[in-house]
This record gives sequence, structure tokens and C-alpha cells, in this order.
Amino acid sequence: MEINNDIIISVENLVKEFNGGQIKALNGCSLDIYHGEVVAIIGPSGSGKSTFLRSLNLLEEPSSGTIKFKGIDITDKKVNLDLHRQKMGMVFQHFNLFPHMSVKKNITLAPVKLKLKTQAEADELAMKLLDRVGLADKADAYPAQLSGGQKQRIAIVRALAMEPEVMLFDEPTSALDPEMVGEVLDVMKELAHEGMTMAVVTHEMGFAREVADRVIFMDEGHIIEENKPNELFDNPQNPRTQAFLAKVL
Amino acid sequence: MWWSNLFADMSPASFFNFSFLPKYGLFFIQGIEYTLLLAVFAVLLAVVPALLLALMRLSKNRLIRGLSGAYIAVFRSTPLLVQLSIIYFGLFSVISIPRITVLGFVDISRFIPGVVALALNSSAYVAEIFRAGILAVDAGQMEAARSLGLSKWSSMQLVVLPQAIKNVLPALANEIITMVKESSICSMLGMAELMFAAKAVASATYITLAPYTIAALIYFCINYPASKGIEAIERRMRRGDKQ
Repeated sequence: MEINNDIIISVENLVKEFNGGQIKALNGCSLDIYHGEVVAIIGPSGSGKSTFLRSLNLLEEPSSGTIKFKGIDITDKKVNLDLHRQKMGMVFQHFNLFPHMSVKKNITLAPVKLKLKTQAEADELAMKLLDRVGLADKADAYPAQLSGGQKQRIAIVRALAMEPEVMLFDEPTSALDPEMVGEVLDVMKELAHEGMTMAVVTHEMGFAREVADRVIFMDEGHIIEENKPNELFDNPQNPRTQAFLAKVL
Repeated sequence: MWWSNLFADMSPASFFNFSFLPKYGLFFIQGIEYTLLLAVFAVLLAVVPALLLALMRLSKNRLIRGLSGAYIAVFRSTPLLVQLSIIYFGLFSVISIPRITVLGFVDISRFIPGVVALALNSSAYVAEIFRAGILAVDAGQMEAARSLGLSKWSSMQLVVLPQAIKNVLPALANEIITMVKESSICSMLGMAELMFAAKAVASATYITLAPYTIAALIYFCINYPASKGIEAIERRMRRGDKQ
């Protein structure tokens, strides 16, 4: 794992309000994510960590603040957001596979539709990626025929088929039965070791400690503390971090 | 025929005085055909505008949303007979359609205004069906498609609409049933559909009630099995959705 010093995503003073300002989900969060880095975002539910992650590719539209992806402010309305989203893969808690399409079609839909690849090229990449996650035999299955763990691995493959530069994971194992968490985390670990830049919202403290280069603790819409995993888990500085870790570890 | 004598002693006001059938049976058959043509064409014609109205209704732009909302409000809040009259005597006095008869009994100068009025009315209802169908598709589907870099329209077209349309097929079929019944109102403007046939037979034979009994029976025999069939299809689709 090597991290070079190029910033790939730079978030500055991000604010997200709901109901015309009555609810503040994000209260001015700033964060730089470096190329090749794995950032784990932890915190109690309702702390704004998912909102923060979903803001990075503008699935949540921020109320104010800027998000720069490779130096370009993607909150600017004049920017072609779709073009940048192609390079930011996203994996969701509830998989969100397209139920009316086969696994292979799920994976090749976007690259082919966006004319990045021919169907044959996309099929080839899809099979290669499916093979890597051990699901090559499911290429023609439909999502309803798969287990949760299989669905999530397919969802990861679908995002990877766009050959993204960053992968965003929004609680990727929270909706899984316990015995399926491992298979998804293994795929994510492998991805991290290959040098993929990743931002992961997670409740899996073991994963955060083992795989992340940096852990961010969020609470009430603020980034409270960030540090190397060992430092943050073993020696938390902020009382709120201490209280949270005392409950979950 | 052996059963002709059956009706000999019946009063003209009897529910079951079907003595007119041998002479006027074909009239009813044509009425059924006319009714089905009206209903099926009206709903088919309504599908595309309804989809457009539904998408407009879900737009972020307030003006577009308002336009669609106004259309739906007007057509759902006024009687079909009034709409039909305004379209027939207003719109189609400007647009004139030649009096050509097709299939031997469908005069298109009446049929087309009728179908257009029913379709405009139906599109308001079908729009609401589509809107509900689109909203029933999990928001995560649109998010997943957008996160892959697909445009809003591509996501709608490739991911959301195919699922939405599958959801609304039974409701759409139900709309045809509604139209089979509602189209009886076209008899008021001289379209020779089933209700018109019943009225014509009643006035020609002075048998005041039984032609309507026959019409009711026919409407029932079309709509009840159809609605049962749709229910069965719905049940099977739900089973297919189970994971």
C-alpha cells in the first residue's frame, strides 16, 4: 500500500441542511482523501457519515461548501456531473442491483450505454471481475436468485466495471447476515491491497482497524477526530470518540 | 325457433322479454365490437401522453409539474359526458372528419372524437397510475444508476421505467375495464356501441327493459372474467417477485 501525495477528493466546509435549515446533517466538514488511500468513516447512527459519503458524488446535494474531484469543483452547476460520477464507484447498503436484468447485464449496462466499451469488451471485463470475486457461474443469474453476500459482491463488480478511480462504500455489510459479512469484506480488502482509493462508511471496526489508512470519527454532523487506525482505536483523544468506542469495541 | 314462443306471453316491461334477439342480435354483436374498439383504442392512445404527464408531474420544475397537475385535475374533476360534449361539439367542429364507415358499422366521424375524448380523460387517470408505479420503484435504483454516471433520462428509461411498467400492468388492464363501462356514455352522441344498441332496440320494439338487461349481462360477461384474469396475473407476478 503506497499513498502518494496527490489529493483525489477535497471536501471543504460541507454543510447539508434538511427541512429548510431545521435539521443540520452536516455542519461544515472538511476532508482530503489522497490517491490510493483507504479512509474509514465511523460514528453513531445519525452522525451524518452516510450523508457525508453520499455527498462525495452528489447523490446528496450539499447546501454549501465545495467538493473537488481531481481539482474540479463538482458542486459547480456547470460541471458535467455524470462524467465525474463515472470515475467514482459507489456501493450501497441495500445493493441496489437492477432486478430486471441478469448479473452480466447489471455489470455491462453503464459501460456499454455510455459508449466506454463495446458489448464484447464489457462482457470480457465483467467475466474477469466476476471470476475474481468467485461468481463467474452467476453471470446469467438474476439478482433475486442470489444471497445478500453474492449480491453485494456483484454490486462491487458493477462499480468496478466502470474502472473508477475512487470507490465509495456506504455501509456495505450492514444489511447482510453475519455469515456473509466476511466474503464481502475479503473482496474489499483485496481491492484495498491493489491500491484502490476507498472511502468506507462502516460499523466493522475490525475492518477499519486492519485495512484503513486513516479513520474518521463523526458525530452530529462534525468530523470530531481523525487518525491512523491504531492511534484512534487505542488512544482516542476526544471524549465523544472515547464514549463511542467504549460502546462498540 | 323453439324458444320464440317462450316470450309470447311476456309483457314489454319484463326483465326477460328477449323476443327481439333473433331480429336484433347482430345489433348487439356490433355494439360489443364498437365498445371494445372504443375502450382498447382509448387506453392505448392514453398510454404515451399519460407517461409524459406522469414524468412531468415528478419534475423538479414547478411550472412543468403545475401544467401536468392542472391537466389531471381538470379531467378528473369534470364529468366524462361534459368532456365528451365539449370535445365533440367544440374541438371536432373545427377539425372535420369525413364520414367514412369502416368494418361496416363504425362511422369514423363519430368514432374518432369519441376515442379522443375517452383517451384524454383516461390519460389523466393512467398518468396517476404511472406516477404511483414510478414512485413504487425503490429510490436506490435511480441512485445506483446515477452513481454509474448514467444521465437522469437514461436511468429512468433503462432502470426505473421497465420496473414501473411491470408494476402497473394490472392497473392498466383495469383501466381498460373501466373504459369498457365508461364508453357507454358515447351512446349519447350517437356512437353505435353496446348501450346505443340497447337503446335503439328498446325504441324500435317497444320492449322497454329487456334490451338493457341484455346490455348489462354482456358488460358483466366481459368485465367480470377480465378482472378475475387480471387478479390471477397479479398474483403470479407477485410470486415471481419473491426472492
